[in-house]
Amino acid sequence: MLDAFIQGLLLVLQWKAFAFMLLGIGVGFWVGLLPGLGGATTLALMLPFVYNMQPVEAFAFLLGMHSVVATTGDVTSILFGVPGEATTAAIILDGHAMAKKGEAGRALGAALASSLVGALIGAAALALAIPVVRPLVLTFGSPELFMLAIVGLAFIASLSAQGARGMLRGFLAGGLGLFLAMVGQDPQAGIARFTLDSLYLWQGLDLVPVLVGLFAIPEILDLVVRGTSIAGDTPAGHISHGALQGVKDVFRHWWLTIRCALIGTFVGITPGLGGAVAQWMAYGHATQSARTPEERKGFGQGDVRGVLGPGAACNSKEGGALIPTIAFGVPGSTSMAILLGGFFLLGLVPGPDMLTKHLPVTFSLVWTIVLANIITVGLCFLLLNRLAALTAVPGHLLVPVILVLVFIGSYTTNSSYADILVTIIFGGVGYFMVLAGWPRAPLVLGLVLGKIAENYLYISVARYEAAWLARPVVLVLLAIAIGVVCYPAFQAWRARARASAHA
Amino acid sequence: MHSRASLALAIAIMLLAGWGTISALDWPWKAKLFPLVIGIPLFCLAAAEALWSAFGARGERQAAADFQLSTDQPREVIIRRTALAVTWIIGFFVLIMLVGFPLAVAILVFAYLKVQGKEGWLFSAVFTAVVWGCFYGLFDMLLHLPFPPGWLFTWFA
Amino acid sequence: MNWKHAALAAALALVPLAAAAQANFAGKTVTIVVGYKPGGGYDATARMLARHLPNHLPGKPTLIVQNMPGGNSIIAANHMYNVAKPDGLTIGTFNRNLPIAQLTGVQGVKYDMTKFAWIGSAANETTILAIRNDLPYKSFDELRKAKENVIIGSTGPGANTHDFPLLLKDLLGVKLKIVSGYSSSADIMLAVERKEVDGRAGSYTSLRQFIDRGLVRPLIRARSTEAGVEKLPVDESFAQNPRAKAIMALRSAPEVVARPYVLPPGTSAEIVKVYRDAFAQTIRDPALVAEAEKAKFDLEYTSGDEALKVMREVLSQPKDVVDEFSKYIKFGE
Repeated sequence: MLDAFIQGLLLVLQWKAFAFMLLGIGVGFWVGLLPGLGGATTLALMLPFVYNMQPVEAFAFLLGMHSVVATTGDVTSILFGVPGEATTAAIILDGHAMAKKGEAGRALGAALASSLVGALIGAAALALAIPVVRPLVLTFGSPELFMLAIVGLAFIASLSAQGARGMLRGFLAGGLGLFLAMVGQDPQAGIARFTLDSLYLWQGLDLVPVLVGLFAIPEILDLVVRGTSIAGDTPAGHISHGALQGVKDVFRHWWLTIRCALIGTFVGITPGLGGAVAQWMAYGHATQSARTPEERKGFGQGDVRGVLGPGAACNSKEGGALIPTIAFGVPGSTSMAILLGGFFLLGLVPGPDMLTKHLPVTFSLVWTIVLANIITVGLCFLLLNRLAALTAVPGHLLVPVILVLVFIGSYTTNSSYADILVTIIFGGVGYFMVLAGWPRAPLVLGLVLGKIAENYLYISVARYEAAWLARPVVLVLLAIAIGVVCYPAFQAWRARARASAHA
Repeated sequence: MHSRASLALAIAIMLLAGWGTISALDWPWKAKLFPLVIGIPLFCLAAAEALWSAFGARGERQAAADFQLSTDQPREVIIRRTALAVTWIIGFFVLIMLVGFPLAVAILVFAYLKVQGKEGWLFSAVFTAVVWGCFYGLFDMLLHLPFPPGWLFTWFA
Repeated sequence: MNWKHAALAAALALVPLAAAAQANFAGKTVTIVVGYKPGGGYDATARMLARHLPNHLPGKPTLIVQNMPGGNSIIAANHMYNVAKPDGLTIGTFNRNLPIAQLTGVQGVKYDMTKFAWIGSAANETTILAIRNDLPYKSFDELRKAKENVIIGSTGPGANTHDFPLLLKDLLGVKLKIVSGYSSSADIMLAVERKEVDGRAGSYTSLRQFIDRGLVRPLIRARSTEAGVEKLPVDESFAQNPRAKAIMALRSAPEVVARPYVLPPGTSAEIVKVYRDAFAQTIRDPALVAEAEKAKFDLEYTSGDEALKVMREVLSQPKDVVDEFSKYIKFGE
């Protein structure tokens, strides 16, 4: 085992493989920064170049690129409030709020440090899990996946505002998300649901145009209204300070960072749940770490915990996502499906052999993720001052550029004007939600999890009838879901009890 | 302001959920189960929120764990600037459809700098050229995104 | 009005000349429109062809791939049919089941598959049903005699993971229980591993690695075939009546044209010929074959004429067959 661990490192450190990894990082860096343009698309576009490379180099290139996209996606999310990737939207809420308070440096520092910690934990979890990977993944059948979606939806409660009214609005937003998730051809009867007779909606609403509209458009409107730079009146020199402070924050909230990283790994391992869920669950968990209602109100206004939670989850999921691909030859996402093509080029057939005979190769993948992240985070820290200074650029220079990126980013999804229309419509929805004080996060969770919940419920019932309810993991997850829903109420009760004790 | 916005949102969701529920009724049960299970409670929740917004006590603003719009400007300024921004956004979309993506990007950036930013000609031109160059090099030359020609050109061609 | 006739004759004489001149693609850019997002089989095939096709076209044009996803690639087909210019600079590739969409009158279809200028198909697809190796059924005959339901996972109507076993169940009476809703065929494979389902249908290409690994065993295939599964029994041969046979044949007919490549309708015969020749040469090009082998791709050439014949066959079915067919099969994926 240890032998394979070191052999894996040596595989990555061959100079040519390392050089191609650097090249991959360079490409992934930009792909992450650009909103809309996703990792999967780029992987597919880069695949032709891979034919001319040696197998190990090809892998270093592809995986190097893939592992840094999420990290730099966080940077765009924080600086401009525009999701750099579909998987990095949650960090906007507090990250961009901090940028607007002139704390872009601190937010970036926290995001980068936590994503490094996340990547390391994800990789470590992957390495440690190798002996038990197969039973671990196989424990999660359709009933468990359905319950996981329910646990995810339960986080809506903690992502909502407080009080009965806040909960009501949270569930309304979540319900709207679930409703929108049903758009498209249904997989049971093949009926086109809510497609308004348009071919565009036949395969459902895509996440990227919705997310970009929901988050970026209100920020653009607000930026125009304020008529200043993103950081407002904060003196330019002040903004980039605090990067170190951000790093310290990660260590100050060490256990939270680790818990969020583990959430990410877990979401990554579970095939079919999708990477976009990881950050929101981590964000929901981070808000639960607030002890008092006053503290809770700080979330969304620039609480650093709302940055480092999602930051940690975002990269730790990549290590986890490799597991089903490696151990079963079954890719968990489009990116992984493309990486699977890379395996074939290597002459390897992913499957149980990867955990025994080809263990060094598996570890070389782990090492690639680790090294790529260390290099990217280092690079970002070098550029951090420049990046943070962007928030001091006058708004009228940024707005047209952001607008172009937002439009083109959503257009890359289907190359259809309807993508832009969806972005504008959800921009309106997002603006009204912000105006009315409704949380937007539950909408995203509902949209992401709606299909999973419906499909796996049908599968569970069709396969096991009522017996699926009695499966032990299902019961555990049910308990967690109930706990997650009731936790905010419990917190409020405890706060009241404490207040009356003081009085 | 926020309670009126909330009312509008709630009514919109009521309409959406109502429409969804009614159109789902014709489908085979496997296709309609979820739309009904979600649509009906959604309608009820939205109705509750609408009533609350319309008749509930005004005053204290309920803060979501989400960002809040800036309020440090006078109301008229906020409304005027928001309308302006919306016009820019919609205008950009219309422009894209009329003249195609590449030209629309150049026009938008230049016009925004000149009109909204009141920048000089030279600066606006150079800035536009740089943005357009990056846009074109990346999305057209490298990624080959299909950019259909503008409608204006197909009408008059 | 002799001079007018003369001019007309001259113009007519010029037409083939102009076409011949047009068929030289030096310095031009040819676009392949793919009806799917990057990442799937259709896209990967197109990108592989884009690297090799130029070497066989006169003037070595630059080939680029554009993705136009949506509506299970009906959007791309509509674009190719109504918008793309027939100048040989746009090629389209899309869902092989589009003739089924046309046949069953899916809303939004604005094309006629028989009117495209067909280049050919780069691959055929063999749909097979494979079940877990630890089940007692060693052959399709044994499966037919099974007493208990065999559970088959599927992604949903319109996909071959669903339609193929559905016909086995409904037309041949095999005891299958189809559980649909998995997000992808990869997810069904995991369900097979954890014994949630007993097997799945799908293309031989996608199932081969699991067959080689001994996880599943193939039992039956549809009409279209390729090396490795020729010996499997064919579903149609078990049909008890001509109607059932026709429906199964209709479902599998487009699989011969699994990676269709077309030019817009009205493309000149000259250009079509250039493309057909280049396409045929490209698929047999040793460089491409080696690359495809490395990436575990199966490429099989089907000529444009044959592809067109399949389209005509599918679309000329009598109404009662179509009605019966529509009861089982919905267009999708």
